[in-house]
Parts: sequence; C-alpha cells; structure tokens
Amino acid sequence: MIRVLIVDDHSIFRAGVRAGIQHAVEVVGEAGNVDAAVRAIDELRPDVVLLDVHLPGGAGGGGAEVLRRSTALLGEVRMLALSVSDSAEDVVGVIRAGARGYITKASSGEEVVAAIRTVAAGDAVFSPRLAGFVLDAFGTTAGTPAVAVADDELDRLSAREQEVMRLIARGYAYKEVAAHLYISIKTVETHVSAVLRKLQLSSRHELTAWALERRLL
Amino acid sequence: MTAVPVRPPLTRPRSVVLGGVCAGLARHLERPVAVVRITIVALTILGGAGALLYLWLWAFVPRERGPADAPPQRTAPVAIVLLVAAIVVALLVPFTWALPTVVPVGAVESALLATAAIVWAFALDPREPRHAASAPTVRVLAAILLLGLGLALFPGTLLAGRPVVAVLCVVLVLLGIAGFVVPPVLAYGRSRGVERATLAREEQRSEIAAHLHDSVLQTLAIIQNRAGAGSEVARIARAQERELRDWLFAGTDPFAGDLATELRTIARELELEHAVRIEVVTVGEVDAIESHALAAAAREALANAARHAGGDVTVYAEATPDAVEVFVRDRGPGFDAAAIPDGRLGIRESIVGRMSRAGGRAVVAATPDGTEVQLRLPRRTTEKGGPT
Repeated sequence: MIRVLIVDDHSIFRAGVRAGIQHAVEVVGEAGNVDAAVRAIDELRPDVVLLDVHLPGGAGGGGAEVLRRSTALLGEVRMLALSVSDSAEDVVGVIRAGARGYITKASSGEEVVAAIRTVAAGDAVFSPRLAGFVLDAFGTTAGTPAVAVADDELDRLSAREQEVMRLIARGYAYKEVAAHLYISIKTVETHVSAVLRKLQLSSRHELTAWALERRLL
Repeated sequence: MTAVPVRPPLTRPRSVVLGGVCAGLARHLERPVAVVRITIVALTILGGAGALLYLWLWAFVPRERGPADAPPQRTAPVAIVLLVAAIVVALLVPFTWALPTVVPVGAVESALLATAAIVWAFALDPREPRHAASAPTVRVLAAILLLGLGLALFPGTLLAGRPVVAVLCVVLVLLGIAGFVVPPVLAYGRSRGVERATLAREEQRSEIAAHLHDSVLQTLAIIQNRAGAGSEVARIARAQERELRDWLFAGTDPFAGDLATELRTIARELELEHAVRIEVVTVGEVDAIESHALAAAAREALANAARHAGGDVTVYAEATPDAVEVFVRDRGPGFDAAAIPDGRLGIRESIVGRMSRAGGRAVVAATPDGTEVQLRLPRRTTEKGGPT
C-alpha cells in the first residue's frame, strides 16, 4: 500500500482528506506547519506527501519551502501539491520547487487517490489548469514557432507534448488523451513527465519573463 | 403673523460663466441676471467696489451641491482673456516708456496678467473639458510674453540707466522660465503621486488576498469537500469561492465583455443553478478578445453540459494569432448528434448555426465518456466583425 503523509495546517481538512483516502492508501502521518512537515518527511519517508501550498511556519515560504528543505529526499518521496487557489503563483511556484503534480482542495477523495497513485508511480499529475499555465508559460500561442526540434530541448515543448497539454487542458483524462492521439497511456505519461521536467528545469527567457510578470521569482 | 417669503438660498451654480456670483446673486434676490451684472460692472468702474464685492462673494458664497467628481463648468475662457489682456497691455509699454514714471506704465500690469493666465491655464483649465485643449498653448504663449517683455526691455534699461526697470526685467525673465518649467514638474509630481497611490492600493489588495486565502478560501474548500460534490451546500460554497477568487486574483479589473471574463461569469451563474463544477482554463490573450457570438455559443454549450451532464465540466479557451477556440467538455452520457432529441434542439441552432453565421464553425463530438463541443472562430472575424 502507498504510504501517505498529509501536510496541511487545518486539522479539519486533514481529517477530511484522511477519511476520503484511507480506504485506498495508508496514511502514515500528518503535519501542520513547515518545520513539522520537514521533520515528518525525514522520519517517516512516506511514498507520497500531500502538501498544502499555503503552509504556515518555517521561514514563511509555505509548501515550496518544505520542498526546498527536503530536496535531498525528492528521489524517494514524491510531493503532490494541494492548493485552495489556482493562481499561477502558487501552482507554478511549487512545481518549480519540485512537486510532481498539483490538485485543488475541492477534489474528491477518489480524485486525490488517483492522483496519489499516479505520483507514486513516478508520473506527473497535471490538472487542466496547470496544463493551461504550461501552454501559456511556454508561449505556444504567441505565433513564434515554439516547437522543439529535438525532444530533449529544455526551453520548448515538442509538438506532441503541446498536443498532450492541450488535450489535458481541455479536460481529457490521460486515458482519453491516449485514445485521441492513438498512443499508449504510458506514452502520454512519458510526455507529461517530460513537460514537468522542462517546467522545473527550463531557464527559458519567456518562462522567466512570464514568471517575473506574475511575481514568481 | 405674516408669512415671510422664503428666498432661494444664496449659492453659486455649478455651471457658470466666470465664478457664478452674478447668477447666484440674481437667483437669491430674484432679479434678472443682467441687472445684477450691470450693477457690478458699474460699481467696478465707479471706484472698484464692484470688483471687490464680486471677489468677496466668490470667496465666501458656497457652491451649489452636486456630484463631487464633477468640477464646475465655466464658459468664459478666462485664461485666454487674461493672455490677450496681457498682450494688449504689453503693447502699451513702448508708448509709456518715455513717461516720467519709475516703471513704465503697463509693464507690471502685463506681467501680472500673464502670470495669472499661466496659473489659471495650469491649475484650473485642465479640469474643464471646454478649455483643457487650449490650456497648454495659452500657458506657453504667456510664458513667451513674459520672457520677450523682459528681454526686450533690458537693453533699454541699461542705456537709459533705470535700475528699477532692470530688476523688473530680471523678474519677468524668471517668471517666464518658471511658466515653462514649473507646471511640467508639478504635473510629473502629481502623476507620480497617483502612481504611488495605485501601488499602495495594489499592495493592500494582495495583503487582503493573502489573509482571505488562509481563512475564507480554505473554509470554503473544506465545506465543499465535506458536503460532497453536487450537494446544495457545496454548490453555494463553490460559487462563493469562485466569486471571491475572481475578485482576489483578477489583479486589475478586466474590462467587462472580454471572452475570459464572460466565460467565468457564465460558469459562476451555472454553478449556482446546477449541480456542476466548471473549470475555466484560458491560454493566450483570451482576455483581449470580444466576441459576442463565441460567448453566446459557449454559454449555450455550457448550459447544455450543466443541464444534461452535470458533474465536472471543463472549459478551455485558447487564442492564437489565427483563431480563437473554445472547448466545452462534460462527462455525461454521450448522445448521438444525428438523433438529437427535442429538448436538445438548441444545440443545432444556437451553437452550430450561431458559429457559422459569425464565420466560424462548431463541432459537437459525442463519446461514451462525455460530450465535447468545439468552437472555432478565425481571428480576423473576432477583431472586425464582433459587436463592440
């Protein structure tokens, strides 16, 4: 069973999430602030951390601070960001700090479980909104050819990745994206993970400018 | 006891010729305006009492109550009159030069009039639509007059040995330069003040946003989570959350009527009415697009999804240089587009028909997992053809 740590400062919310996912995963602990979260991650080494973006404590950096202080463990502990907001600041901020996905707090228990499973398997969880941010950030609509020639180019999305992102933004599940593009689900997951990596690593000028404009950096 | 007739209050009207004194006085005394004006002018000519009375009333009689943001409307082009008077008086100086006065008659008077014109044109005229356009020109001309007068008289003062006039010339030149330099500097300072105020407001707003974020939005999320999707409570909480979020994260107020705002408004309305959760995602400059046809078709598609499918609905709007596309996807049981039941006739007419009339196209793609309505409008049509 997947071992999950719930990090959120609202105990009612933690209890709610716990009740919603307990049947499918093992909740190994809870934490209510940055310091407690970093400690719990280090001690418990859960498979997946459900991480609130707006977390009090520490140096005031919220969920992103937990990510930065646990960087060494990111290989074995996967972080799934939970946020009540879908503002670009919050979403892209935690993703760039190392989270493997992002879901809103309004998600149902089943959706959270599905997201936990995806992240635990090493894949990325992209909500339609996050996909929209990615398309915006990589300037795919600006008219300039933003399509990467080689797949490993960090600053651009490949044509396929763009298609996948667009379908996710349109509300398609991975399975439906795969059916639509006549590719396997595994391939879709590979594309999404590649986009996540680019989002985290790219120093693309437009991405930086875009982030600055939204006060992300 | 005999009833004392109540006079109208002594106030100055908001739409005036010069100061509104005569009009206000006439109304209060219940006499024709012309009589009051002639009296004032006559008193002015006979020793100046009229002018003093006018200024005194101007200063102390309150202005009629009105909307605070509407400045009084003045018909008289005061700054231009002052400027013309200054020029006329300045033209007298060559003739009064030889007269045995300490300072030539007209020089000081002209300087005062020109300075008054500059002050008036800078301080009062820009707020009045009738005079705002001419104000900068008047100001510059008055400043040129001051400079010109000072420079023209200066050589003469040296030759004739009139030190007082020489000092006056220096003052004139300084006033002229000030007329050029001071108003732009003041205007710059004023605009900086406005900028600072905007910045402060913006900061305050993000502070409020941060606070609300941790409290109200969280609570609304918890309510939704605990109440279960589709319940009445969750629906209201979600609608409230969306409204608050729009207000918090909108940054500057987008102008109403753009596509992104309209889609969000439609989503909010439908979420209140139906058990549905609508996520609106926009990519590109969707907020710069105005298209009534596209918004109306999207509304129809969303209403259909909310009514017949419910649950989670995703709206994706993307603007590229060539076209604007809107996708509305629901998770309801799919339907055969060819065999549309009566209740769904709306789709064919209000979505497909509307889009093709606007020069775009609409496709309704039904699958077992849900329905997707795809709307596409070429960009040229949205820029020129859309009603504004």
